[in-house]
Amino acid sequence: MPQIHASNSVWPRLEPLLADVRKPARYVGGEDNIVVKDHASTDARWLLIYPDAYEIGQPNQGIQILYEILNERARTVAERAFAPWPDMEQLMREHDIPLFSLENHLPLRSFDAVGFSLAAEVGYTNLLNCLDLGGLALRAEDRADDDPLVIIGGHAAFNPEPLAPFVDVAVAGDGEEFVLELDALIADARTRGTWSRSALLAQVAEIDGAYVPAFYAPRYTADGRLAGTFPRRSGVPYRVPKRTVSDLDRWPYPRKQLVPLTETVHERYAVEIFRGCTRGCRFCQAGMITRPVRERSKDTVKAMVAEGVANTGLSEVGLLSLSSADHSEILGLCGELADTYEGTATSLSLPSTRVDAFNVELADELTRNGRRTGLTFAPEAGTERMRRVINKMVTEADMLRTAETAFANGWRHIKLYFMIGLPTERDEDVLGIAELGLKVLAIGREYGRKNKVTVSVGGFVPKPHTPFQWCAQDRPEELQRKLGLIKARVASDRNLNLRYHDPEPGLMEGLLARGDRRVADVVEAAFRSGARFDGWDEHYDHDRWLRACEQAGVDVDWFCHRERGEDEVMAWDHIDSGLERDWLWSDLRDAVREKPLDDCRWIPCYDCGVCPGLDLAHQTNHDGAPRRTHLPLYAGQS
Amino acid sequence: MRVRARYAKDGRLRFISAIDLGRVWERALRKAELPIAYSEGFTPHPKVSFPDALALGYASTGEYVELTFAAPVDVASAVARFNAASPPGLRILEAVEVVDGAPRIARWLRASLWELRYPTQHAGVLDGGVRALAHAEHLPVDRERKGTSTRLDLKPALHMIASHEDAVRVILHHTEPPFRPTEVHQSLCTTGGLTALEQPRLVIRVAQGSAEPSGLCEALTGQPLPVRPHDHTAATS
Repeated sequence: MPQIHASNSVWPRLEPLLADVRKPARYVGGEDNIVVKDHASTDARWLLIYPDAYEIGQPNQGIQILYEILNERARTVAERAFAPWPDMEQLMREHDIPLFSLENHLPLRSFDAVGFSLAAEVGYTNLLNCLDLGGLALRAEDRADDDPLVIIGGHAAFNPEPLAPFVDVAVAGDGEEFVLELDALIADARTRGTWSRSALLAQVAEIDGAYVPAFYAPRYTADGRLAGTFPRRSGVPYRVPKRTVSDLDRWPYPRKQLVPLTETVHERYAVEIFRGCTRGCRFCQAGMITRPVRERSKDTVKAMVAEGVANTGLSEVGLLSLSSADHSEILGLCGELADTYEGTATSLSLPSTRVDAFNVELADELTRNGRRTGLTFAPEAGTERMRRVINKMVTEADMLRTAETAFANGWRHIKLYFMIGLPTERDEDVLGIAELGLKVLAIGREYGRKNKVTVSVGGFVPKPHTPFQWCAQDRPEELQRKLGLIKARVASDRNLNLRYHDPEPGLMEGLLARGDRRVADVVEAAFRSGARFDGWDEHYDHDRWLRACEQAGVDVDWFCHRERGEDEVMAWDHIDSGLERDWLWSDLRDAVREKPLDDCRWIPCYDCGVCPGLDLAHQTNHDGAPRRTHLPLYAGQS
Repeated sequence: MRVRARYAKDGRLRFISAIDLGRVWERALRKAELPIAYSEGFTPHPKVSFPDALALGYASTGEYVELTFAAPVDVASAVARFNAASPPGLRILEAVEVVDGAPRIARWLRASLWELRYPTQHAGVLDGGVRALAHAEHLPVDRERKGTSTRLDLKPALHMIASHEDAVRVILHHTEPPFRPTEVHQSLCTTGGLTALEQPRLVIRVAQGSAEPSGLCEALTGQPLPVRPHDHTAATS
């Protein structure tokens, strides 16, 4: 068992180095609402890590929520760490300083559980770097029995296989209940003085939602396809279900959000107004894996906002969700919050992907004081045909009417988000993006010569647990060609700003997203050859990744650019998101037939499989109906 | 209503930039629910003004700020509320109300009293270095900027210098260009003859004000601060 004393703090050795690194505030902690506990009076010690730079990871909701609920337990402590920037990594390695927490500046090995939040795949090499800097063997099988548990969660954990050899536990879905159950096991082992990773893992595997990769092994067919991922011992489930929190009003976190001392990507008090989304956009992994829709009530949201603002001093409030305009009480909520904060310096924002006039009305409501600069919409595709394929149901007339309303109400800048490389895409769909941008700009011009339109284009990456999981990803060269079509069409117009990313990192994102356990060797080879911060253009090195693939014997073409058959076993089939595979396939067939599917909040259930599997249903208040705990199909039971 | 305050920036907070510190101030004022006034216009800003910026990494008990409130506040209780709401490392030490039309505090900030704390093993040699600096006619220091080195004379900016145990205390006039504590350190290593002197482990700006024959006259309270640490009782925590 590692000895834990305050004297283990790396601070005295770290402090003199801070003069020589960029943005030293990343490493000092000291934020408002930080929780600093004496480890000597705790039974369970968690280190929560977001494997990216502090300014990216600090605002992460998942970390903030788990930090708070774990620290509410008197004899549990949760601290945080982030990936050190390369200048700091170099100094840490020179001076033999291990990865440390920001609260007590204790080394990673002082903790019992090391939990990584993985919002996206690009953090995988940083995850390995954090383990390595923490003094742990990269592969779980090489670690000692008294080493801490390494856990991953977050959306990327819905396909844990490319990280399977490096982690002890993966959990898909909501983390609130899971961490408390795991915490109880850890505290029990520590108080008995019987810490043994192997013994503990056998118990952890019994927690609902816990996937212990060491207890499963993939098998492959002679031609290299995956035959399946099978349990290696009795008592573990064939398919591990995701975790779903059913009543968000019971989990009103964050209450005392950590306030950074230095600039981060989001400086706002953030409250999730609901989780889940059933718009059914076929490209959207988040919308598929977070079902069903669970709303926070208007009163809970209002109370959280009042408390959150008072506890943080933040001047911006974000009402977050996957499609915030869809909250059943959104108009009342926005109106009442706008009343409360009218005339104050507190501003409200509502990220939303909906394209309609209602969205503009909400945005107007939240900006009564008149600060109307940019408004963002996500039509996602350039033609109605393409939008039927991806099930983003917005007509061109809708889009133009929405733009007209926005410009007429004083908004001066409209940002439009699109993807290229979508299944069935033709050049006319790609050009449609440019055309739509230009049409919106033409409307903007009628309301002001300086009005602007930004068209932002990303390359589509097929993701697990979506109807497009079977589809081929476009090659970077093809995406580059398609971008060229758009560029040529809009080049002449100064008020249309085209933004896009280099398509090459998307290819590796695709490999990590849909890879199987063999891809773990690629991640390790890339890490060992220096890959870090792969989400940052200035750090991403495509050739390094291609060499890593070659070294690991992994064929990127085969994983990314190949259309998969209906019956092909996927690397994530043993992680149960609740979605029926048959439904995903039939939804893909509907996509190819350009057949849209409506939101199941307003139409009868179409049996995606999630609600009956979890024995719950949407928790919303649409139509003013009382909250249902079951779908109409199960009404008799409620 | 205008309030002028002297505040401390130390602990972990010394690693944040002046821009970040401005945001920390704004949030602490909001959290304390003090009625700070906002500027008019498209993007209203709270009326909090800082006469100068402390370089990242230095601690200070001698930073100054001017605040404009939209409603009258009781200064003592406003300070207490602010200090309860601010993160560790930021606290108001003294505050006074100023009358409308009073000149800005920047006018009274003519010199800084700095304390350079060295690793304790150097304590015995500091006095010799300090004496050399005090008696030298010129103190040439080299300043690197964008690859070119300029030689400047620190001496005209040096008002007083003294040592005590592991610390060197120095009063520097605010000159143009300003001299920094790092250049005092450089001078100790060269003119002072302390070739093996390591970097100070901590640099603290004790206070700002005007240079007087007796030391520094602190800008907000007029309190005299002698350069010799054992001569004075002011906070250098």
